[in-house]
Amino acid sequence: MKNDNWKMENKRWRRQLRALRGRGALMVGSIIIVFFCLIAVFADLIAPYDYSSLSRREPFAPPTTIRFRDAQGRWQARPFIYARRLVDPATQRYEEITDRAYPLELLTHGYSYKLLWLFPTDLHLFGPRVEAGVESPRLYALGSDRFGRDRFSRLLMAARYSLLIGPTGALLASALGVLIGVIAGYVRGWTDAALMRAADVILALPNLVLILAVRATFPPGLTPGSAITLMLTIFVLLGWGEMARLARSLTQELRQREYVVAAVSLGCSPARIIVRHILRNAALPLIAHALLILPAFLLAETALSFLGVGLQEPEASWGSLLTAMDRNLFKRGHVLAELSPALAITLFVLGVRLLGAGLGKEGMEREKIREYENHEEAKEANRKRA
Amino acid sequence: MLKLILSRSLQGVAVLLIISFLIFTLITRAGGDTVSMRENQYASQETREAIRRLYGLDRPLMERYWNWVTEAARGDLGDSLIFHTPVWSLIRLPLLRTIVLTACALLIAVSLSLSLGIAAARRAGSLTDRLCSVIILFAASTPRLVLALLALAFISSTPLLNVVGPTTNSATEVWTFRVIPPAIILSVPIIALFLSQTRVAIREALDEEFVCVARARGAPEWMVLLRHALRPALGPLIAILGFSLGGVMSGSVMVETVMGWPGLGQLLVSAVETRDLPLLLGVTLVAAAAVMVGNLAADVLQRMNNPRLR
Repeated sequence: MKNDNWKMENKRWRRQLRALRGRGALMVGSIIIVFFCLIAVFADLIAPYDYSSLSRREPFAPPTTIRFRDAQGRWQARPFIYARRLVDPATQRYEEITDRAYPLELLTHGYSYKLLWLFPTDLHLFGPRVEAGVESPRLYALGSDRFGRDRFSRLLMAARYSLLIGPTGALLASALGVLIGVIAGYVRGWTDAALMRAADVILALPNLVLILAVRATFPPGLTPGSAITLMLTIFVLLGWGEMARLARSLTQELRQREYVVAAVSLGCSPARIIVRHILRNAALPLIAHALLILPAFLLAETALSFLGVGLQEPEASWGSLLTAMDRNLFKRGHVLAELSPALAITLFVLGVRLLGAGLGKEGMEREKIREYENHEEAKEANRKRA
Repeated sequence: MLKLILSRSLQGVAVLLIISFLIFTLITRAGGDTVSMRENQYASQETREAIRRLYGLDRPLMERYWNWVTEAARGDLGDSLIFHTPVWSLIRLPLLRTIVLTACALLIAVSLSLSLGIAAARRAGSLTDRLCSVIILFAASTPRLVLALLALAFISSTPLLNVVGPTTNSATEVWTFRVIPPAIILSVPIIALFLSQTRVAIREALDEEFVCVARARGAPEWMVLLRHALRPALGPLIAILGFSLGGVMSGSVMVETVMGWPGLGQLLVSAVETRDLPLLLGVTLVAAAAVMVGNLAADVLQRMNNPRLR
């Protein structure tokens, strides 16, 4: 008896270990996404400069070198930077002026903003130390763009817009898709046929072509607010197809389950059955699939902004930062700084994919465990009966 | 089969009508037409009126739409407002180029994912299998836009490749090397899609009894793989191929724009930039129609592959 118990215990422990190992993707994906969300929320705090403030004398500056050792070869405890001068505007060559070192510090003061959109402050995570009467040089972590704007600050603010538009679009489109799919799967008949035919058509069409065509019908210069609204509307209207198909098939399958049949025979209203019995049980695969389609929305926004018909300057999105990417990046050096928007997009999409894959696996695992438990229960019942 | 083709064609025509009507209405209501573009904001009221009259933009919406539809039904998509030539003559060559690009990309994706899929499915958990998982993850996560920009930077920094790189615009070179880089970039995300599909399908097929029987009969392993495992895996692959055509067309807009392949996507972007309504409508409809024809072809192929569906 005791031996038996130990065996069971061992089995369970092993199963948990296996489940945990399978959750690696889930963990890594969530960490990446939380990291990006934090960056988007605290973009103002992390960014040393205003994303739209110009510095006309410093176009196309390479990333500033952060030094610990000065020109005389002495080591310093505090990191510092040198001021720089544009030597040759044609090749954008800069030279450091080593007369004076400007020490960096954490939690320095800069432009004022509202932390978390609530508390007015001028605190920034890092930057050159502010001293009275001294104009310290700007610290370009990733270099500056054509107008001498800090690319690092722009990348952070772009995360805000890109992470707002793509995921919100995916969320709204998924909500519409689930609504349509559940209705189609629950009502059946000609409503189902008509809705699914529409979903098929929308799925088959080249979405980006249509998005571009619809975007072109609106005036070119739009304020950020109306550009975002317009993009979200187009995304929702063109993006609901896939979720609708999945929600419909899940609904059709769940409708056959005993508890739904029981609820119907008890006289529950369709709304109650859909919300309490169908949606609750379909939630995990639906969320996993919503994560699967999320990158498409993010990339559509990136594509629009890249082509200059998404967010307009000086507002930044990852797409418009890609437009400014140097086409000769392998020749000029600073490849990582040049590639930073591309890397940000790729890393975020990777995180979403990992999370989606992890959730999908989790759903399957749960289903498997449920089946196993049902099986065990049935065995137990049989044994008792015997 | 005939019934399928007929019903799909009818459906396709209806969809094209809806799309064209939507764009037509939107462009009049939302105020994005050529005349109200930014360049014309300093023109006097009379000039604007004159331009509108010249292009017939002052007529009622339904009348203009009806005129356009009847012309389009005869195969005349109107004249471009910018190039002043028939839209169809502007579209024809880019359409051909886009079809070539897409076909090459699909060819690369199918051949690569089939060979890798077979190799991975033979033994679950093997090195090839795990490698395939990594390939799928990264191919699915790296956007085409990023890949295209990287490839362009790489090509322009490599003197050897720069010769065949997308710089010249002579008609003879269109068919040769220049299609390869954009086709590779275009194929990357669909490789992920196809590979994950074929791997699962072939693994399932290998578990079937007919594979066991074939092995017991003493058929060589390559024959088992190619003849017995591949055939049932082809069905879902063709279905997914048809399904992904819209995405490939969307992706080719970005790849063409970045890598300078003068196809339909590039034409579309230029039409969007200049708000050339007839050209925009023409390109959108032709792209949608091409994708729908491709979809239909995939369905027909699938029925030919699987006799049970006939």
